[in-house]
Amino acid sequence: MKILIVEDEQKTGDYLKQGLTEAGFQVDLAREGVDGLHFALTENYDLAILDVMLPGIDGFGILAGIRRAGKDMPIMFLTARDAVDDRVKGLELGADDYLLKPFAFSELLARVRTLLRRGGKAPSDPFFRAADLELDLLRRRVTRAGQRIDLTAKEFALLELMLRRQGEVLPRSLIASQVWDMNFDSDTNVIEVAVRRLRAKVDDAFSPKLIHTVRGMGYVLECHD
Amino acid sequence: MSSKISITRRVTLLFAAASSVVLLVLGFVVATAVEHHFEHQDVELLKSKVALARDTLASLKSPGDLALLVQLLEISLASDLDSQMLIVGFNKSVLFSNGDVHFPLVEVFDSAQKRPLQPMVWKMSNQNYRVITMVLPTGISSASRVAVAVATSIAHHEAFMRSFLYTLWLFVAGAAGLTGLLGWAAARRGLAPLRAMRQQAQVVTAQQLSHRLAVDSVPIELAELAQSLNDMLARLEEAFRRLSDFSCDIAHELRTPVTNLMTQTQVVLSKPRDVEAYRDILASNADELERMSRMISDMLLLAKAENGLVVPNRETLHLADEVRLLFDFYEAVAEEKGIQLATEGDATVGADRLMLRRALANLLSNGIRHADVNSTVQVRLDDASEAVTISVENSGETIAAEHLERIFDRFFRVDPSRRHSSEGNGLGLAITKSIVLAHGGTIDAASSGLATRFTIRIPHHHTDLT
Repeated sequence: MKILIVEDEQKTGDYLKQGLTEAGFQVDLAREGVDGLHFALTENYDLAILDVMLPGIDGFGILAGIRRAGKDMPIMFLTARDAVDDRVKGLELGADDYLLKPFAFSELLARVRTLLRRGGKAPSDPFFRAADLELDLLRRRVTRAGQRIDLTAKEFALLELMLRRQGEVLPRSLIASQVWDMNFDSDTNVIEVAVRRLRAKVDDAFSPKLIHTVRGMGYVLECHD
Repeated sequence: MSSKISITRRVTLLFAAASSVVLLVLGFVVATAVEHHFEHQDVELLKSKVALARDTLASLKSPGDLALLVQLLEISLASDLDSQMLIVGFNKSVLFSNGDVHFPLVEVFDSAQKRPLQPMVWKMSNQNYRVITMVLPTGISSASRVAVAVATSIAHHEAFMRSFLYTLWLFVAGAAGLTGLLGWAAARRGLAPLRAMRQQAQVVTAQQLSHRLAVDSVPIELAELAQSLNDMLARLEEAFRRLSDFSCDIAHELRTPVTNLMTQTQVVLSKPRDVEAYRDILASNADELERMSRMISDMLLLAKAENGLVVPNRETLHLADEVRLLFDFYEAVAEEKGIQLATEGDATVGADRLMLRRALANLLSNGIRHADVNSTVQVRLDDASEAVTISVENSGETIAAEHLERIFDRFFRVDPSRRHSSEGNGLGLAITKSIVLAHGGTIDAASSGLATRFTIRIPHHHTDLT
């Protein structure tokens, strides 16, 4: 997967590039609007991350240029300006998502993966599996090592999210938004408690442990073999 | 006229103009009266001469008496050098004429017949004369009617009027100047309070916004202006104070976490450690940084709200559904403390879903945090005709009145030692309040008898603060 980043702030650009590269993406970094648009039009990217405020052509300009050229890869804005009209403008012009600075890298990564998945195939398989944990979406059943586990509706939704995005670190804000539809920075300890309770049901009596806390980032469900 | 002319100059000019007009009118009236008086005097004199001529002419009996006429009149007119008389027969023979003035005979006959005894001004022998003419009978049958013209020089009257008008003009000009000067002095004196106000206003600077204009010591006309200016200053001071509080708050609230981050990082860097230690410190830094980042977002939201930039995107919300959703979210946390979440009533309101959810989440999270173990956090919804009310009540330690009134302030915590604990950043209730205000609603807090209740009231008919 190839990602274009257009970001004029030196450190932000470097860290984004490093972070996304380490997450397994192929990353090009442009520091100016003109270069960015040139990259976007001459190479093929799966996703573009654009700072709104840029020297030369700004993010809106690049986006318009990309769309004019008939390219339809998902585009994410990074902006320090959180005026409502900017959001509207960005979304009207065809941006797929935006993040307000300051943002957490884990949040960015999670959103990048969401956007990339959106374009690809929708997994129609109603079964999710990790080690001996199984989740049946149709029958709304969860078993571990063959044993039935009773979950509340929200616990089920949380586990489904973590299984769908196995191996990805999910920031708390993403979990709050996906499971409870709380699209603002809410008490993080609510998520902590919810994850702890899920873990008690799914992980405590079993081995190997599947749900892990990545300190400072969020939670991840994966099978450490 | 441009409104930039100073009031002093304006008053001075108005004074001078007004007094000039008054004096000019007065001068005109006086001059007219004097002229009339002169004319009247002249006419009386001329009429007496005509009467003399009439008497004398009537006493004539035969043409031979004409020589007598000349003699009689010359004697009668000798004392009066200014008066001229002409008596002409209808055969154009001059019967009498004294002095050296040449009367125009045609006009004499003409006016004597058409305008007897009417005063006229004729220019004769390079001088102006007031003249009256008349046709008179004589005692002589062969020349029974004669034309008489009597004239008197008005040169000295004219000279007098010229000098009178000259004096008048001089006087008007002088008086205009003088009243202008007086007007200037009066305006300066009258405007002294304005200058005093200006001096007071000059004291006001960004550092001295608390200064006010003295309303009591200025004239009533200016008191209202001073009051308005004071009100403006008060608003400015309030806005300025909020702004500076805001920067102060940010600096203050960020100082501690930044110090922590710096110390922690530098201590760890001071000697080599194993990978696990580095991972720990980075993770802890990330947590702290995330908190700071959240605080920055919250502060920005509050700043926007204070400037009226938060505009609710209204849709119809069923509050009972919203509350249930929030209960879902907080259920686990509440359960851990043995707290029940209960709701009663329902209400429908036009509000911004995300914003209202956030406001309620803050109240609920606050309620759960401060509720006694094994108690109930009760949400009540009420839909009245004018407004909906949403109250969130928890049992727990009563909040003192002096704390209660500050509870919606940024960073206010009842217990200052709780600062920087994991329990929120002290902005939750401030954000809730700003959201409610943006919806044109009100929020208040009440605490007594080991129960604390927050009540939001959102009117159905709203005027958004924009």
